[in-house]
This record gives sequence, C-alpha cells and structure tokens, in this order.
Amino acid sequence: MGKKTAEGQVIVVTSGKGGVGKTTTVANVASSLARLGHKVVVMDLDIGLKKLDLILGLENRVIYDIIQVIEGECTLKQALVKDKRFPDLYMLPAAQTRNKDDITPDQVKQLCAQLKKEFDYIFIDCPAGIEQGFRNAIAAADRAIVVTNPEVSAVRDADRIIGMLESANFKDIKLVVNRIRNDMVKSGDMLSIDDLLEHLCIDLLGVVPEDQNVVVSTNRGEPIILNEHAQASTAFNNIAHRTLGEQVDFPTFDDITLWTRIKSLGRNMFSGR
Amino acid sequence: MLDFLKRVFNAEDKSSKGQANNRLRLVLTHDRLGTSGLVMDAMKEEIIQVIAKHMEIEGVPEVKIITEGRHAAMDISIPLKGR
Repeated sequence: MGKKTAEGQVIVVTSGKGGVGKTTTVANVASSLARLGHKVVVMDLDIGLKKLDLILGLENRVIYDIIQVIEGECTLKQALVKDKRFPDLYMLPAAQTRNKDDITPDQVKQLCAQLKKEFDYIFIDCPAGIEQGFRNAIAAADRAIVVTNPEVSAVRDADRIIGMLESANFKDIKLVVNRIRNDMVKSGDMLSIDDLLEHLCIDLLGVVPEDQNVVVSTNRGEPIILNEHAQASTAFNNIAHRTLGEQVDFPTFDDITLWTRIKSLGRNMFSGR
Repeated sequence: MLDFLKRVFNAEDKSSKGQANNRLRLVLTHDRLGTSGLVMDAMKEEIIQVIAKHMEIEGVPEVKIITEGRHAAMDISIPLKGR
C-alpha cells in the first residue's frame, strides 16, 4: 500500500510529565493507522533516553539513529526501521549516547520536510520536560496530542504544556486521558474526564482505561492493538480513527464494568461468600 | 439521582476527587498568571489599603480571580459605607 495523502502531517505527542504514556500512545496510534493502510513513521526525539524502539519491540533491528542522519553518517532511508508486522509503519530511532542539545529545531524541520513527502503521518515522541527536547519536538508539528493521567501532578504539567503550545501558535491541540479507572471515578477517588476537560479546556481525542494487558504487551514488545480483547486496544484504535477526522463515540466502559460486577456477584454468591 | 442527592446533602465535596479539583483550580489559575497564593494575599491587602485611604469600607471586601476557560479576570468587590 502506498501513501494516501499529498502532504504528510506531523503530530507531536507530548505531556510535560514523564511516565504518563506518551510512548505507548505513539506506538499504538501509529500502528493502528498503519494497519488501516496509512503510511506512518514514528520519530523518537527522546535523545539519550530512548524507549520507542523497546515499546515497539524493534530494539534489535536498529542500525543507525537520528543523530547519524543529521551528521551525514547515513541517509534518512538507511536509518528508518521497517516494522514487519505493519508493512506501512517505520521508525526513526533516537540516539542513546547523545543528548537533546545535539539536535536543533531547524534540523527537525528539515527531516520532517523530507518525511512529509513519503509518509501520511509523522508521529513525534516528545521527551518529558519543557526544555530543548520539547522545543525540538514541537518545531515541525502541525498538530499536538497532549497525554495526561487523571492525577493532579500530570494535569498541572499538561496545563503548562498546553499554555506553551498555545504560545507557539498551535491551533490543533487535543487531549488523551490515559490510565483512567472508572470504578475509582465513581467512588469519588479519581478525577473524571469532565473534571479534566474543565481544568484543561481542550478537545478530547481519547480515553484509555487502566489495563493490565498494556504491561503484558510492553513486556513482549508488541503493540497493545494486536490484543483485540484488551480495553486499551479499543481505546487506541478509536484514537486512530478520530485522528483521521472520523466521528467515534466515547464508550463509557460502564457496560463492561457492570458486567464484570454481575459476574463477580455471581461468583461470590455461588462460592458462598 | 444518587449524584443529585449527594450534591444536596453534601454541598462541599469532601471526596479526594473533590479535593483534587479544588486544589487544581487554584494552582492552575496561579500557574497561568505566574502568581501564587502568597502574592495574591499581599496584593489583596494592598488593594484594600488603597481604597481605605480614600473611602470608608464597610463589611468584608473580596478580591478574587474568576476564570472562564483558560482566561482569567480579577473580581474586586469592596462594600463602602455611605454617609
């Protein structure tokens, strides 16, 4: 399958705080779009602290990295790692032994200009923080996805990032809420989606429930979207469709919770508890 | 219905979620304006002092930040004593 659009779009996935699920979001939304037949490349800009290759399970296939491309040691094409599971997915690896200052926003822009000709979507995995790495990651982006968790510290950092994206004149900034637990929201012990939207005031792109399957997939180096039964898988596929501009309803995951409750109630009754 | 009852009987949300929301409202407003609770308190005192220098204040003056979306405004309400 070939490229579908004339000019590729650059989407940066960012959060401020580390550990909220940026890389997992990049890996799964990109894989999902590639599975739908779009030509997708993921660019790891977390220079010095790379994770994307590991999350995608491509760590043993990396030969060159982004810094070697910039310094002319290899061509861009040579550095791109092709994902065998998704024929339309490619990865441009970060360098592990260098740091964020070894690359400039202009160099990222040049690379993206080249990639836009070949790919429909270019996903940038942004490092945590608001320094040079963040400036590099947003330099060439047309759109931004802000990932957060329903937790005060992640929301505060997300708000700061949204403020900085607005100052950088981003018009398309969307929110992904990762690791939400409906049972805790209901019992009044976790911020709800409505709460997060009230605080952050941007449009919602996706809601990913807390799902143990993500840990299992990460252990194996497989995107969670390959596990059809996982709730997180449905959530990431929905995000991919919404990224394409399609209207997809937000499932509440209530039905599943209710069903689980009935099942556990049944189990408890029959086991005599 | 349950939510409604909760709201009626428990006007002040004491759940940890409610506390998180209250803390976030305050801290995000301060972050966005580049200020802090301490600065706000000091400013409030100064504003009241300036008014008090020229007019007589009666009752409890209020100086607070109100927000709409990502925008904020300062709401100053100072009751004055008439002659």
